[in-house]
Amino acid sequence: MHLQKKTLERYRKFFPGETLRETSERTGIQITRIFRLFGGKTMKVMELESFEKAISEKIAESPNFSHLNEVMEEASALLTNDELGQLTAYVKRKLIAKSYSRMYVRHNFNDAIIA
Amino acid sequence: MKGLSSLERIVLECLGKNTLTYEEVQTQSGLHENVCFNILQALIIRSILKTDGVRYRISENLSPLMLEEINGMEAKIAESLEMIEAVVENKAQRVFRFQKVAMDTRDEKIFLAMLSNLESFLVDAHKKAQSSVPLKERKVVFWGVGDVQSLMNQIVMGK
Repeated sequence: MHLQKKTLERYRKFFPGETLRETSERTGIQITRIFRLFGGKTMKVMELESFEKAISEKIAESPNFSHLNEVMEEASALLTNDELGQLTAYVKRKLIAKSYSRMYVRHNFNDAIIA
Repeated sequence: MKGLSSLERIVLECLGKNTLTYEEVQTQSGLHENVCFNILQALIIRSILKTDGVRYRISENLSPLMLEEINGMEAKIAESLEMIEAVVENKAQRVFRFQKVAMDTRDEKIFLAMLSNLESFLVDAHKKAQSSVPLKERKVVFWGVGDVQSLMNQIVMGK
């Protein structure tokens, strides 16, 4: 169950804001089943593999990702705690800047059509 | 994350001691509208800003701990690096020179005096134009100098 939760969390990070329909199309799992899985229903092995496959395909789009993992592993063994802190802060800043531009919040509701 | 990102700092600098609407912050900062709105919301969540729903202002009850986090040396260094990196990577109107220069003692003194003049000039220029030039149109200027050997040692030591 822990692995399932972790996989779904990773999936959400790689595909933020994706609709259930899009997830269904990407993984080949029925939309109602996707809804249940995100609601906590236990996954079958094949379903877990489908999510993992989608994540792997996304990772494959950025070859530097696996390189980053290797480098981070080496860094955790060699660098001092302070240096690791600097790296973490640097990556965190990049993430925050990205998140500000990524999440879209509609501010102006004046143009919205109210039925 | 400790401190502020340079984007968050821009929003705080826009507000200063004023109370501004979202549109005013957006116009003065030059940030894209959803980015600006998201930053305002994030700063409200961190209790750095207050809003009555229309206008935004910096919270007057910031704890000393929060002030240290925002204005502390560590945060300032990270923020400066963020801006410097942006200048270095800027492809459009980049003015950036980086050189290892041989200087005798006399020239080094002259150089430091010139930097001091430059700083005075920038202080005066800022005083003269700060009320008329909005934040988004201001220039990011930085300079620095160091000895190659000590910098190399610092890089090796990781400090």
